[in-house]
Amino acid sequence: MMSEFLSYGFVQRGLLAGSLVAVVCALLGVFLVLKRLSLIGDGLSHVCLTGVALGLLTQTSPVYMSIPVVLAASLGVLKIMEKVKIYGDAAIGIVSAAGLALGILITALAGGFNADLFGFLFGSILTVDKTEVFLCAALLCALLLFLLFFYRDLVAASFDEAFAHTRGIKVQRLNAALIVFTSVAVVLAFKVVGIFLISALIILPPVSALLLSRTFKQVLWLSCALALLSVWSGVYLSFVFNIPSGATIILINLLFLAGAFVCSRLGRGYAKKGKKYAD
Amino acid sequence: MPGAIEAEHLSFKYTRTLVLEDVSFCIEEGDYVGLIGPNGGGKTTLLKLVLGLEKGAGKIKLFGVLLADFKEWQKIGYLAQKSPVSQTRFPVSVEEVVLMGLCYDNAHKEPTLANLKEVYRALTQTRTRNLAKRIFSDLSVGQQQRVLLARALVSKPQLLILDEPSAAMDAASREMFFNLLGELNQKHGVTILLITHDTGEVGKYISKFMYIDKELVFFGDKQAFCQSKKVAEKLGPFAQHTIDHLHNHGHCPLGCHCDDVHGGVGHYAAHGAEAAHGGSEAQTTEKSAGNTGAGFSAAGADTPASAKDESRTAPAPQPDAENSTPAQTADGGQQ
Repeated sequence: MMSEFLSYGFVQRGLLAGSLVAVVCALLGVFLVLKRLSLIGDGLSHVCLTGVALGLLTQTSPVYMSIPVVLAASLGVLKIMEKVKIYGDAAIGIVSAAGLALGILITALAGGFNADLFGFLFGSILTVDKTEVFLCAALLCALLLFLLFFYRDLVAASFDEAFAHTRGIKVQRLNAALIVFTSVAVVLAFKVVGIFLISALIILPPVSALLLSRTFKQVLWLSCALALLSVWSGVYLSFVFNIPSGATIILINLLFLAGAFVCSRLGRGYAKKGKKYAD
Repeated sequence: MPGAIEAEHLSFKYTRTLVLEDVSFCIEEGDYVGLIGPNGGGKTTLLKLVLGLEKGAGKIKLFGVLLADFKEWQKIGYLAQKSPVSQTRFPVSVEEVVLMGLCYDNAHKEPTLANLKEVYRALTQTRTRNLAKRIFSDLSVGQQQRVLLARALVSKPQLLILDEPSAAMDAASREMFFNLLGELNQKHGVTILLITHDTGEVGKYISKFMYIDKELVFFGDKQAFCQSKKVAEKLGPFAQHTIDHLHNHGHCPLGCHCDDVHGGVGHYAAHGAEAAHGGSEAQTTEKSAGNTGAGFSAAGADTPASAKDESRTAPAPQPDAENSTPAQTADGGQQ
């Protein structure tokens, strides 16, 4: 069964793209969750709908059309946060609502919903082409280089932005870079899990990892591992039971989160008992 | 020689609300400045402007260099009022948090042995060495503040900027904290700018006061603070005079003695004024008078035991009635 599953080219491409996107989302998610910007994935994924609708309207690739649209929206979020001085979640909400409204309007003008749009909304990992796999790999390489060079600055800025600034760290530039990476990741992820579920791929693995880890590096590794495991098992289960892959991936992540919660509670319980006996 | 902080015509407003207007001052190297003022008076905003965390009108220089061009951030130590992650689990150890206070040449470099030595020196200074391997967010708020002070001190800064940092600390930690700051200032010449309401405990070390209430009301040494008419208008003469008394262990720079002024209940009356000013609680101050070398201790020794007992049972004195004499003397002296 497994060899048959892996023998298909579209399955191989889907798994590869899914794995690359999962790692990108898991890494970015750790910083976004700790900076309380985790809903940015949700907001920007709604903006994807505008890009997808424009792509379908102009008969161009929805993925390529979405990249500039979502990038512009992400910069809009940053500007609103900086200039209008409102909370980050409100800025995300504003851009998200605008993206969703525009997307629905353009879709209606283009003649309503169709099967293509349905695939983008709920994910169609097995339709990923070679160029998209290449884009996912390029994004992951760029992100790894970024983390390699700015790891300490990112951790310091995630921990305490004001203090990081007093160490000479360019906090605003780091935030902008994180959001730009997220916007590209969101676009490339909507084929894997669908527009509605992208934010879950950004939030769930890091939150599970945060419950189980004691160091920042552990969180990054564990978040990647959980994301990869969820994509592989999700795609396989969707193939075997003929169920939607995006939703399966997210439900598996939710199971991981429940498991992580139970483990962390048990761990705390044992630690308390140990301390009691030691006393 | 340039000042540690030079500010010229600083103004700042949030949307339409004016927070600071035309504030200019120069803090010399080696100064220990207590920044006081009412809530919403612009104290924290002023610190943020000085650190470049907010952008307003006017010019700021740090050690003679314009803020926009300032690069030597290791010279600055900053400690905010609240811990950044008191409610959330952030997976970094105390040791890693203090390491963040060091400026690395390359962001991705691993810490060296010398870096770690500095970290443990700073942790020892703030008596948090035993917490080094603990997860920062698992600590109590008071412990977190002490660790964050270690982070501010790890780069051996020449200028410490502190935003009401002792609010969450217990009495012993606060005493350690202010004694450490005093030592850094007096022995190592570290310049300190401190927002505080704890004028009682910190007062014996402060060399200058800055009073901000949207504008710069006062900036100068303690004696001038006691004599300032402007401060008297803002604070009321009682609080103005008694804050100064706290710092001079009962001896007013103008020559009057606490016992003369307040009829033997000077320090407890002064404490009442401090509380009215928004300061520390009566019990804390009283405790520190008995147990510590800070704040009231010298005055406590001067005051007769009977007077102390009397003061404990005496009702809080009325500011106007109690302080009319010294305030008038002060103003009269100035005129």
